[in-house]
Amino acid sequence: MHWSIENRMVAGFGLVLAFVLVIGVVSYSNTKKLIANSLADAHSHGALQALEGTLSTAENAELGQRRYLITGEESYLSPYHTAVSRLPEQLRYLREMTAGNAAQQRRLDSLERLLTRSLEASKEAIVLRRDQGFEGVRHLIFARKVKQEIDEIRFLIEEMVNEESKALTRRAEESQASTRNTILLLAIGTLLQSVLLGSVYYLIRHDITQRKRVAEELRHRGEQLEAANKELEAFSYSVSHDLRAPLRHIDGYVGLLEKAAAPSLDEKSRRYLTMISESAKQMGQLIDDLLVFSRMGRAELRDTPVRLDQLVKEVQHELRHDTQGRNIAWTIGPLPRVYGDPAMLRLVLINLISNAVKFTRTRPLATIQIGVKSGRPGETVIFVRDNGVGFDMRYVEKLFGVFQRLHRAEEFDGTGIGLANVRRIIHRHGGRTWAEGAVDGGATFYFSLPTGTEQA
Amino acid sequence: MTAPRPILLAEDNPRDVELILAVMAEHNLANEIVVCRDGVEALDYLYRRGGFSARRQGNPAVVLLDLKMPKIDGLEVLRTIKADTGLKPIPVVMLTSSREERDLVQSYALGANAYVVKPVEFHSYFNALKALGIFWGGVNEPPPGLARATANGR
Repeated sequence: MHWSIENRMVAGFGLVLAFVLVIGVVSYSNTKKLIANSLADAHSHGALQALEGTLSTAENAELGQRRYLITGEESYLSPYHTAVSRLPEQLRYLREMTAGNAAQQRRLDSLERLLTRSLEASKEAIVLRRDQGFEGVRHLIFARKVKQEIDEIRFLIEEMVNEESKALTRRAEESQASTRNTILLLAIGTLLQSVLLGSVYYLIRHDITQRKRVAEELRHRGEQLEAANKELEAFSYSVSHDLRAPLRHIDGYVGLLEKAAAPSLDEKSRRYLTMISESAKQMGQLIDDLLVFSRMGRAELRDTPVRLDQLVKEVQHELRHDTQGRNIAWTIGPLPRVYGDPAMLRLVLINLISNAVKFTRTRPLATIQIGVKSGRPGETVIFVRDNGVGFDMRYVEKLFGVFQRLHRAEEFDGTGIGLANVRRIIHRHGGRTWAEGAVDGGATFYFSLPTGTEQA
Repeated sequence: MTAPRPILLAEDNPRDVELILAVMAEHNLANEIVVCRDGVEALDYLYRRGGFSARRQGNPAVVLLDLKMPKIDGLEVLRTIKADTGLKPIPVVMLTSSREERDLVQSYALGANAYVVKPVEFHSYFNALKALGIFWGGVNEPPPGLARATANGR
């Protein structure tokens, strides 16, 4: 499958964009995870500190309370009071720091129960010591129960510390892996993007170079064409000047010869002189027609409103010498106003109408119709129809060729350039020409002009 | 009455010259026809220099000027004539094969008095030449005071 440069560029840039999106999404989620991990780390560190604090608070309270029980010295109770006031706060903080970890919360519940129980036991013991003195609490001091309780608390706290440490390690590994993946993804992505962008750059550069080359070629061709046009102009100018002169001389000298020698010449010789003279004239006509034809292709087109009905009247007037003494029924329909070159469109009408006049010469009553016919959208179609000798549809395409004639010279005069001029002029106006006819059945010639220029 | 002033014919093609002279002779034109074979000669005649330094004073009745000539072409001769106050009044008829629009436009822009295309056809050609001879040689009243034809400087 061959892709156009635009498609390839879109595909290239699309892939780059897709990569950028994927990398963006993955980096975003990884970064989010890293941020979440670091928040969780902060919580874990907070929890570790709080656990340590809680343990020492509890141990100090237990130790202080035991000393008080032994000595009765009130000052030893200060750690106990601290514990009573601070432990609930510490527990609340721990609960906050371990929120989201169900196992730690469960352990925290047990820890809270143990601590509460231990503080209550201490309170009872303290009250007992105050009321009954040392002897009242003696059994408590040496009891193993207290020691067991505090060990249980220590054990629970150690478990919780372990759990948090493990979570810290796990998260550190997770973050590391995620960071590694992100780096890898970025590296691969950057590489791929570079390759893709490089390819797209190459494509665009290649395309630009190619376009430049084409533009250069076009410019070169334009120059060549201009040169060829200039040459053609010089050529036809030279034809106009130099080809006519010898013809003029031939006819001139034949004329002089006729004047000088006519009385002594026989009929045959006089006919020969006539033939020479007529041939020279005919060639002169051909040269003139060719020059007109060549000019039609080069002359600049004017674009002005042209009233076709007016133009037809003018052409009829111009052809009055050809129509004199003829029996012609004209049917001229309403004709539109078109836009074009008045002189050239006049030539079109002269050619078509004079043809119609010419080829109906053998008819006792010639009919010539000129009118508008509906055509394709966006064009105005004009036709010129006659009831003349017509033509064979097999040769219809030859009609509009240069120097193409469908009739013998002695039947109808003409150089065979008129319809070629018509076609050239109409083509230059952006229209079409065509014809319909039958041998001895008349002919209709059509030409179209774009209506787009009508609103110009 | 003095003899009519001459007609200056600037034409490089000898056959055209011969044909033109034949027609003029046939119609017994009273004017002398001076033939110059290129633009340089035509200007020499008008400024009475070179081979024409000894000619009688006075401008021709009309100049028949071919467009394409060797050395100095018709348009250049026309430009020189119309730029010279002494020569400017002389009627100049362009006599040429060219029907090209730009030649016509340029000729009139430079001040040509008429532009005649030499017809291919003998009779038209002869009639055109005859008419030219009669009109410019006789019918047309040339500008007065044409004695001052000398090189009074450009």
